[in-house]
Amino acid sequence: MTLDRDEALALARELVGMSPAAETEVTVESTVDRFVRYAQVGPTQAADRERVDVAIRVRVVRNGACGEARAEASTLERATLRHTLAHALELAEASVAPGAVVPFGGPVEVEESAAAPNTLAHGFEAKADAVQKALAVAGAHGLEPAGLFQTLATSRALVNSAGRAVFGATSRASFSLVASSESSSGFADTLDADVARLDVDGTIARAVDDALRSRNPRALEPGSYEVVLAPHAASALLLFFAYEGFSARALAERTSFLVDRVGTQVVGSDFTLVDDARHPQNPGWLFDGEGTPRERLVLFDRGRALGPVSDRAHASWTGGRSTGHALPQPSAEGALPQNLVVAPGTASVDELLRRVERGLFVTHLHYVNPIEPHELVLTGVLRHAAWLVEQGRIVAPVAGLRFTDGLLRALGDLRGVGARVERASGSFDAEMATPALHLGSLEFTSTTRGT
Amino acid sequence: MEVLAREAIERGLALGASYVDARVERIASESLVVRNDRLTEVAAREEFGLAVRAWVDGAFGFAAAPLALEDAATARALAERAVRLGRILAPARARRADWSALDPTKGEPAVGEYTTPVAIDPFALSDAEKLEPLRAACAALGGDAGVTAREATFACRSRRQWFASSEGAAFHQELVRTGAGIAATAACHGEVAVRSWPASYGGDHQPGGFERVQEFELLQHAPRVRDEALALAAAPTCAAGTRDIVLSSNLVMLVIHETVGHATELDRVLGAEADLAGHSFADVDARGVLVYGSPWVSLHADSRAAADPREHGLDTRGIDDEGVRAERWSLVHAGRFVDFQSSRETAHALGSRASHGCARAQSWYHPPIVRITNVSLAPGAWDFDELVRDTGDGLLLDGVKTWSIDEARRNFQFTAELGWELVGGTKRRLVRTPTFTGDTLGFWRSCDAVCSPAHFRMWGITNCGKGNPVQDGEMSHGAAPARFRGVRILAG
Repeated sequence: MTLDRDEALALARELVGMSPAAETEVTVESTVDRFVRYAQVGPTQAADRERVDVAIRVRVVRNGACGEARAEASTLERATLRHTLAHALELAEASVAPGAVVPFGGPVEVEESAAAPNTLAHGFEAKADAVQKALAVAGAHGLEPAGLFQTLATSRALVNSAGRAVFGATSRASFSLVASSESSSGFADTLDADVARLDVDGTIARAVDDALRSRNPRALEPGSYEVVLAPHAASALLLFFAYEGFSARALAERTSFLVDRVGTQVVGSDFTLVDDARHPQNPGWLFDGEGTPRERLVLFDRGRALGPVSDRAHASWTGGRSTGHALPQPSAEGALPQNLVVAPGTASVDELLRRVERGLFVTHLHYVNPIEPHELVLTGVLRHAAWLVEQGRIVAPVAGLRFTDGLLRALGDLRGVGARVERASGSFDAEMATPALHLGSLEFTSTTRGT
Repeated sequence: MEVLAREAIERGLALGASYVDARVERIASESLVVRNDRLTEVAAREEFGLAVRAWVDGAFGFAAAPLALEDAATARALAERAVRLGRILAPARARRADWSALDPTKGEPAVGEYTTPVAIDPFALSDAEKLEPLRAACAALGGDAGVTAREATFACRSRRQWFASSEGAAFHQELVRTGAGIAATAACHGEVAVRSWPASYGGDHQPGGFERVQEFELLQHAPRVRDEALALAAAPTCAAGTRDIVLSSNLVMLVIHETVGHATELDRVLGAEADLAGHSFADVDARGVLVYGSPWVSLHADSRAAADPREHGLDTRGIDDEGVRAERWSLVHAGRFVDFQSSRETAHALGSRASHGCARAQSWYHPPIVRITNVSLAPGAWDFDELVRDTGDGLLLDGVKTWSIDEARRNFQFTAELGWELVGGTKRRLVRTPTFTGDTLGFWRSCDAVCSPAHFRMWGITNCGKGNPVQDGEMSHGAAPARFRGVRILAG
């Protein structure tokens, strides 16, 4: 079990009370993680693991100058934590330098989020059953399976010497399958805070169906193609708004695409993007790394760029207020939106596809990375099932293309937004919620067929 | 520590496991960041935890938790959880290997110790001694309003590990790395350009102590880094075309990592990474057959300690995380593919009894997976200036800006921080955002020159993401500058 509210807050308060620093902030986080990863041979890795992370952030003042540091330990042992506090103080003393600092924030009201009990209680027998089902269904169709079943629960308490005390808990359950043939693969996943709401059977069926339907793909030449991006493909691009653009630091340092564009029409008028930790399809922590309540923030309003997101330090430098997007402090990184949600349109994916004259239906994009930040030029490759669409109909599977294009340019020709919002991973651990998007063009610059 | 590991092993065996290993780990790390003259990150972290892995009826169970000193109860409880998990998963295993057949020991269990050579312990150094070079370098990046972000970073990590197994392995190792770097971001003329030293994204990291950071000479390089960032922001973008290119050793490092390192991980080849990172164009029959590169291309993997610590990488160690001793072997010899990087289980799947010792975990919290070790391109005979002159018209590229590669490690696209147009064998002008693309085999087969050992250097990587759930891996790649013919360049 993760630490409960009273345990976590009591420990944080105890450590704050123990600190001689001018200001002290303590975060106590505990995680329980149970996963089974599998492939053709069955389970390949599995873990029944837990961790606790205690972070102590202190500020010391010497002759009007301030020093600040953070020290962390993965233990609840008081002797070690006393050492951690001493280490934080020592580092803070060494970092004393002139300059104004923003005092820690005082008391706030934050509703307490809770982990789903089903997810907390979910065991390995049920995970093994799902894995065996995936192995059996994929095997029956001559496909190679690979995937993950994971349940994760985390609790977090933050207490500071200015009287702030907040607590919350989250949970996340996920099941995924990549089903592969010699010439194709299909990916599907199901994610929810409550493991009871996962659709394992439907996920297996979708991955297998995509793998079977996309066999023997046609090799297309690079060029400009109209595209419909399914939610996973869309998220692989849109998450770069978070990484590259909407941080107050990036704007202040003039590396963001927002430079000279805040308040202006930047992309198509059907595009509205918010950061919302309370959204049911992409829920997150209701307070940030400084304990500030997370605001629902509109980042694009019908194509008009707004933002940025900020933490307390950047807000004070720019005369604004924190929007509740701080990472744990002190941090060299700027503030970060972590719960992106694209507002839905009205069309089904089939309706979006029917509008395509000649183009591609892309389910996934792989290894997307940025090349240029002002126009958000990105590159990446098609992965898993993709199809050629002609006159509104899927006519053939395709594979083996790399795109290199500006995200702002592409979204400037946004022709449609799907009605169904899905929580989707972009790449590795990041997630957001988005419907399918129909873009007038995306520039594909090379093939991945190789020698 | 050994007592706790033994406690877990004995409990696991008593519960019916046929093999148990235990890793007690104490990990300490520090990071410092000076950004625009503000000390924006001062952080330290300590972890102490235990990982227990049990092989039961043909499947592994793994359990991990934080540990307290003399916490035998936790050690026994983790063994119980690992055995229980293995037993639940065993019926789902399609192929039940006999662990005793997977000889990891090459004759005898790993017993002993290894410690990274450290001249100046970064953890014993005062914080002021570590901060002062960063402050000075950050200040030296200044002086022009066009530079909107100046950053100097430092990081060090110590990982002490007590490994024991039911096969008799008992090994203690302490791996220490230290790293630093500077970067200037110029945002002017409507463009953004970043220049870094000695490497991008947090600098370079080397096995050893603060003496390795002192070698970087951050302060001396800062004015050049600032000036190159400003010059790049004003430079024309690189033109598209097909060009001969000379890559700095830093960029050769990137190409090695993405197109050789990952492509030759045996778990990936066998399909175990298909759910996240992907698979590989190289199949199990490629050994001895596949022409990976030109005759000038020889790549070796090496996790052993060398006589000269400068040849060490971040994966130089005594054993891997399942008790297999470090070794050196050839991946590609004179252009021909030789062998994969393997763990015990993946080596066995390929019919080999011996693992190359590539099973590693990020920490006590993570189960081991196949990891790239230190993989290096053997140096050739060229002098660098001579190579540039000999190239005539082409591009000289330096610094990693961005990278992307397909899931089979076949098609890549890399962007350098900086490009020099070469005309008649001399640098003519800087170009911004030089981006080159190609396919792995075609690119390595186009390599016709590698610089000499005098230009060879090891580069550390600390953030190699792999696995699902993702874990970070650390390794180094050594390279000298090299030339590749007829490479496709995209418009910048």
